[in-house]
Amino acid sequence: MEMTEAIVKAASAIGAGIAMIAGIGPGIGQGYAAGKAAEAVGRQPEAKGEVTSTMLFGCAVAESTGIYSLVVAMILLFANPLI
Amino acid sequence: MNVRGPKILFEIPVLGGIPITETILNGWIVVAVVTIFCFILGRNLSTRNPSKRQMLAEKAVTMLRDLVKTTMGEHNLFFLPYVGALFSYSILSSMMGIFGLRAPTGDINTTVAFALIAFFLIQFYGIKNNGLGGWLKGFIEPVPFMLPLNLVGELANPISMAFRHFGNIASGIVITILIYGALAGLSRIVLGWIPVIGSIPFLQVGIPAFLSLYFDLFSSFLQAYIISMLTMVYVGNANEAPSVSE
Amino acid sequence: MERFQEFVAIAPWTMIFTWVNLLILVLVMKKLLFKPVMNMFAQREQEVGSMYEKAETAQKNAEEMESEYTEKLSAAKEEASRIMKDATHEATLRGEQIVSEAQQKASAIVTKAQKEIEREKEAAVKEIKEDIASIAVDIAGKVIEKDLTAKDHERLLEEFIESSGEEK
Repeated sequence: MEMTEAIVKAASAIGAGIAMIAGIGPGIGQGYAAGKAAEAVGRQPEAKGEVTSTMLFGCAVAESTGIYSLVVAMILLFANPLI
Repeated sequence: MNVRGPKILFEIPVLGGIPITETILNGWIVVAVVTIFCFILGRNLSTRNPSKRQMLAEKAVTMLRDLVKTTMGEHNLFFLPYVGALFSYSILSSMMGIFGLRAPTGDINTTVAFALIAFFLIQFYGIKNNGLGGWLKGFIEPVPFMLPLNLVGELANPISMAFRHFGNIASGIVITILIYGALAGLSRIVLGWIPVIGSIPFLQVGIPAFLSLYFDLFSSFLQAYIISMLTMVYVGNANEAPSVSE
Repeated sequence: MERFQEFVAIAPWTMIFTWVNLLILVLVMKKLLFKPVMNMFAQREQEVGSMYEKAETAQKNAEEMESEYTEKLSAAKEEASRIMKDATHEATLRGEQIVSEAQQKASAIVTKAQKEIEREKEAAVKEIKEDIASIAVDIAGKVIEKDLTAKDHERLLEEFIESSGEEK
């Protein structure tokens, strides 16, 4: 394996790892949203279905940045165009 | 194990070779299944005593209709077939993982196609309702300095829609492949010393099924629902009802 | 040799095929699912509406007929009582009339009888007078044949008075 290829592969691996730091964002955001949803259900238990589906919808939209970083990491690891 | 893109099955030698990949073939399978399903549901409807099949059809149509009506408004009710088609195509494509086929929505091109339709619809209704000049001026509001930000904002919508859908489904595919590989390795380590049948990866049975519950069922339903809702919300915002000011 | 597409790659033909698939699906769903179901909803609404209308008109008709019947019934009762009243009234009148007629007839008969009695009495008295006159003439003849003494006169007069008194 040539030196440049090795460096590129190593750098891709490190880059994939660093990219996944962006997983913090959706974790905090969705946890906060789930807490607010739990509070809303506690305040009005009859609205549980609506609150749940709204929360899931909001979580899925907020997850997109985490998914972007996951896609970048996967591309770097498995379909690396730089090698 | 290798995580690869969709396999190219054959090439139609027209216009310089059109590659037919797994994605396209599985897309045709999805269309066929949905057509048969709709055909079965829509036959022999009676008004007095509906059969169970007819009640299912009525419930599905009513649910979709109410969803479109509450999200987009009454005047946009003609979008109902498109929303239904988008939702059913998306959810059935993502569920193909259960049957061992590669999900068509695991290919970035499919989801980019969904997003591009929404993008064109938004711009079309923006031009139709505000005129060409009004639409162009909308980018300069409120301050001309905001032009690049507005442009990026407009482009970010379809890009994020496409990547969200693709990312969820494709990461599901990748993780499933990785889990299978890991289980194969694990079973080789644990059961490899058994003489004949040691090379069959027994540990691969059962555990991926639980994961498939999340990745194939829950995730696909959620992503299909989200992409339909986002399309409806954006197009509904772009095509608001003409205000009754006369 | 299997060729794979890149994991993330832009392939325009896939996009075009996806658009074509979506278009086919839109047409299929519109024609096979939404049209029949919407038609069925509209037809059901129409049927229910017409059923409601028919029920309403039937009820209205029933109410009308009912009020008509009660009216007719009360009118008939009234007429029946009226007829009875009239009939009794007439009956009493007729009764009184008959009684008064009978009384009149009775009094007429009585007066007629009394008049008849008077008339007969007078006729009898007249007859007696004529008889007396003829007998007197007989006696006068007999007296002339014979020379009567005074005693014969008294004897003849007593006989005559006795016989006329007996006759009386």
